Amino acid sequence: MRRNQGGIGVAPQGSYQAGAEEAALVARLRAGDQAAFRQLVRARHGRLLRLAGAFCRSRASAEEVVQETWLAVITGLHGFSGEAPLAAWINGILVNKAKTRAVRDGRMVNFSDLAREEGEGDAFEPERFLPDGHWAEQHRPWDALTPEREAGDRELLAGVGEALEKLPPAQRAVVLLRDVEGLDSAAICATLGISEANLRVLLHRARTKLRDAADRLVRG
Amino acid sequence: MLTCHQVAEEATEYMEGTAPPPRRLGVWAHLRLCPNCREYLRQLGRTIGLARQALAPPPPAEVEDQLAAIFATQGRPGAAE
Repeated sequence: MRRNQGGIGVAPQGSYQAGAEEAALVARLRAGDQAAFRQLVRARHGRLLRLAGAFCRSRASAEEVVQETWLAVITGLHGFSGEAPLAAWINGILVNKAKTRAVRDGRMVNFSDLAREEGEGDAFEPERFLPDGHWAEQHRPWDALTPEREAGDRELLAGVGEALEKLPPAQRAVVLLRDVEGLDSAAICATLGISEANLRVLLHRARTKLRDAADRLVRG
Repeated sequence: MLTCHQVAEEATEYMEGTAPPPRRLGVWAHLRLCPNCREYLRQLGRTIGLARQALAPPPPAEVEDQLAAIFATQGRPGAAE
């Protein structure tokens, strides 16, 4: 058994040192601070549900997996080593719970098969390019996307979230683990049981669709 | 010279640094001359930033309350022992 099988809880790069804000949050959680726990639930619950949705075939089972994850977080907080970011540790618990549940229900999503299906055909619709290979349209700069909007435009950022949920499952899983949660390629391949080539194709498809969705959102 | 279509298909590998050097050089040379592809790659890069910031709906109040109640009984120091 490979050590990093499902080893999503490991720090993305090298050794990890929690920042002051995270260290303070962990200390408050360990001290039983209700407000800190509610803050964590509000910050992570929706993202956990979104991630679980890539592994589970129904909304109900995704919700149950997230519930089980929170229970494991509550009982495991005192054993949390702090060697990885808190979010990565929680994500690792979630992925393991989701996989265990899928196996138990006999409904394990086979990401390797999905990767082949989702990677078929061209990533772009043919009308995006002229017969000579040039773009059919000019890309207008995203001048409307100021740093302020990027950080705080709730409508825009919720729209991006909806676009994430519309991606086919394997593309969604890859982009959530890579671009949203910041895992490295090796950890993602081990977690999903896909090859590096699968990963690159899925990531490309996902980012291509998200960019098109973002283009519409940015222009409003 | 690569076409825009080829560059668009190579974009993720180019940005990830996983394209082999000859293909990387081909994309680089195209980008030097093609503002439309430069803009496309810039937008792809900013899309990653937007994905990282993407919002998810907050938990329903009853879910948050239920979890907080469990935390109150089990999340205290020593409660797990």
